Amino acid sequence: MRADVVVVGTGPAGLASATRLAEAGRQVLLLARGNGFTHWGAGSVDVLGRIGGEPVERPLEAVDRLPEGHPYHLVGQAAVRDGLDWFSRFTAAAGLAHHGDLEHNRGQVTAFGTLRPTCLVPEPAAGELGGRVAVVNFAGFRDFSPALCAQRLRQAGIDATPASAPLPAWDHDRYFTGVELARAIDDAGFRRRLAPGLARAAAGADVAVVPAVLGVGRGHEPWADLQSLVGMPLVEAATTPPSIPGLRLFAAYRARLEQLGVRWQFGFPAVGVERDGDRVTAVRSEGASRVQATRCQELVLATGGVAGNGIEANRDGTLTERVAGLPVDGFGDRLGFLGTRFLGDQPLAAAGVRVDGELRPLDASGAPLLANVRCVGGLLAGHDPTVEGSREGVALATAARVADLLAATPAR
Amino acid sequence: MTTPPLETDVVVVGGGVTGVAVLRDLALRGVHAILVERFDLGTGTSGRWHGLLHSGARYAVRDQESARECIEENTTLRRIAPHTIEDSGGLFVLLPGDDEAYAAQFVEGCRASGIPTEELSTAAAHRREPLLAPDVRLAFAVPDGGIDSWALLRSMAADAEARGCQVLVRHPIVGVERTGDRITAVRVHDAVAGQDRTIGCQWVVNAAGAWAGDVGRMAGVPLTMIAGKGVMVVMASRYVRGVVNACRKPADGDIIVPQHQVAILGTTSEQVPSADDISVPPADVDRMIDMCAQMVPAIASGRVLRAFAGSRPLYRPEAPAGNGGASGGDTREVSRTFTVLDHASRDGLDNMFSIVGGKLTTCRQMAEAVVDRLAERMGVTEPCRTATEVLPGADHGHHELAAPLARVEQDQAYGELICECELVTRGQVREAVASGLTELEDLRRKLRLGYGPCQAAFCAWRAAGMLAEGSEEGDPVAGLERFLEERWRGQQSTIWGDQARQALLNHAIYRGIFDLRGDGVPDEAAAVSPEDGA
Repeated sequence: MRADVVVVGTGPAGLASATRLAEAGRQVLLLARGNGFTHWGAGSVDVLGRIGGEPVERPLEAVDRLPEGHPYHLVGQAAVRDGLDWFSRFTAAAGLAHHGDLEHNRGQVTAFGTLRPTCLVPEPAAGELGGRVAVVNFAGFRDFSPALCAQRLRQAGIDATPASAPLPAWDHDRYFTGVELARAIDDAGFRRRLAPGLARAAAGADVAVVPAVLGVGRGHEPWADLQSLVGMPLVEAATTPPSIPGLRLFAAYRARLEQLGVRWQFGFPAVGVERDGDRVTAVRSEGASRVQATRCQELVLATGGVAGNGIEANRDGTLTERVAGLPVDGFGDRLGFLGTRFLGDQPLAAAGVRVDGELRPLDASGAPLLANVRCVGGLLAGHDPTVEGSREGVALATAARVADLLAATPAR
Repeated sequence: MTTPPLETDVVVVGGGVTGVAVLRDLALRGVHAILVERFDLGTGTSGRWHGLLHSGARYAVRDQESARECIEENTTLRRIAPHTIEDSGGLFVLLPGDDEAYAAQFVEGCRASGIPTEELSTAAAHRREPLLAPDVRLAFAVPDGGIDSWALLRSMAADAEARGCQVLVRHPIVGVERTGDRITAVRVHDAVAGQDRTIGCQWVVNAAGAWAGDVGRMAGVPLTMIAGKGVMVVMASRYVRGVVNACRKPADGDIIVPQHQVAILGTTSEQVPSADDISVPPADVDRMIDMCAQMVPAIASGRVLRAFAGSRPLYRPEAPAGNGGASGGDTREVSRTFTVLDHASRDGLDNMFSIVGGKLTTCRQMAEAVVDRLAERMGVTEPCRTATEVLPGADHGHHELAAPLARVEQDQAYGELICECELVTRGQVREAVASGLTELEDLRRKLRLGYGPCQAAFCAWRAAGMLAEGSEEGDPVAGLERFLEERWRGQQSTIWGDQARQALLNHAIYRGIFDLRGDGVPDEAAAVSPEDGA
């Protein structure tokens, strides 16, 4: 096997990197162990939600206040802007329009009734919660509690009332997940049967908050259609994984990558590299019955941090980067991995690979280690994607930087 | 607001299995008694152990008195409380490094103690336990099992309450009123109402286990308990069908107990200054895993859910007075049998008994022994009936691993699962909420909600939603944050590998997606109630 560029990882950073490199004319092979944070997130684009626990109003401006070594400083504000502009164009073209801009954060409603600070939100989650708000679940869906959501919204001064809408008869009376419900809602006939009950449950309200399950295979069309059938704005609230807005985005990336001729090996984890001096010559990945080597000119690692499985946290407190064995600062022992409170900060979440301004990994002394390896997204040291609310922003900004760096490299 | 003083014949101090067994024994003899417990039932040693229903074989070589007590009570508990027992059986296995002479002593000790054993061929042992190390040299089957101490506590307490006795949880004892050589009343603090109450009584039974010394001090009698800390590690799956023990002199990491859907590795044995020391050093976790992996190698690369420590209630009569004595020593040399102390003859305090030492398997026998002595002094002639009266809930035979799944299948309740790991349904949660449970912690202990590999990532907030639907009062979000913080405490020494990833994903859900920040939870959330095992 041979590829011009191998991208490892199908989270927000790997998908954006592979797409952008293919758009820039590189021949790309995408290798992935499994699904990434598209499926695990809130379905929006966090750029910088909080600093020191305090909500950020103007994310691009606030980048300056981040500590040295943060990925945003390495790639610069221009890359952040480029990353988000590209994403907005890509998603709009794919029928997944997002609202928002880098000058302002906005509140994305969650199933808990919190308004999480984020930057871009998909259109179905973007509606204003003004006037009377009905918080409506579909009867039997386990991952949304209107009572819980409405209670918190009321604490935030929003006039919210819980309600429940019946589901029409369907194949999954006894057992269904959000994905199954979303697939059902993809069907126009099902939506027509669903709409009257939803309208009755939300009667008298100005807007209805519903769980983010309004279709998964047809972009935002099912949401728009159901909204017009119900006759009132519908706002999707983020709930537990898998994220259905994330699945929509993943499907859009996949379609685009196929259109661009990107080869895709899903379920084939990269497990090592072959080197010649300071260059990686091939990536080894697990196949069905053997380890295969794919020769490449460039390698982009978008494997994630510990949460994403790019880094293994070992029993002795050390950390191991799983593909190229890149150095990662560990801890004295494993008690250092995590804070004493679950909802506090977790040091392990910020662990990652240190890189130079061209996203090449550094050795312990700070010198570049491998000339043709770039690291993007959650794998990078110097940021905590969850606590800062920066996951998608860092992914898109570093993907922009990689596209910039590698598009300029002539193919060999 | 003042609460009227209470009156009873006997105050039982301590809501572990011993105290509750004493309460039930008194109830069956028609004696009125009130049990007081500082936290909830089973939050001390009774909830912080590996859940082994002893056959006694572990003591067969060195402590045959304990061994005989164990096999006797093992048989009795199977009769009176089968619903709390998983009849999984147990093996003792001899590994290459172990002493064959010990195996001979073991077989002889079991015979002498009346414990049925059967030597299995290594092939038969591997058929029974496919994950057993390939180099096992000898294997002996014994009637070990698993026992769910919370189920046992609930059954015994319900039986005692149905017979007119009372259980006061969250009522720590704060003082003892004495007139001369007699206790006239016990003072407790109602931690929920925030006020003290007095319970007038004729007799006191100190069944506070590892904390019995503290109760003794309040009553003015010297009583030295040795806190013998044991660390246990919870693995994310069972690995074994039955209990697996190392056939060697008891040592760290020599037992694997399958419980419900997990396996518990045990245990260390270290003398510590206080029974409240339940810290878990990472090195102890590592040792448990490495040692148990000698018996079942797959454990070495397995997924660890959490670790916890409990304090054995050890009593050494010849120990010098004072609290605890030295620490750091191995406490395995202290006998695991039990002792009834009549403080009248021992200390000149007329109307108090203490029941010390022992173990969960022998809790009923311990209760019988102390209540026999007490009844004699009280002039109660009614004999003990706890060995023959079957407990409420015992009509379904032994509990089985597959029972929750069978229940879900029978009810076709797949879509009603709130906790997928432990197969807890919406109906069960609704029923528990309707019965007055308002804290997720209580739901966890009652239903096993949140025990599985995801450590409550998906079920905790679903259950919080049901609490919010059940009542306009209370703050389910604050309750959820409290619950999450409490679950967190048992995990820190066991976070690496897959479980590290799980922890960060859970963090990404609650802190990332839901943007919860724990503002309402004080740092000492831990102090609400002690964390418990499994």
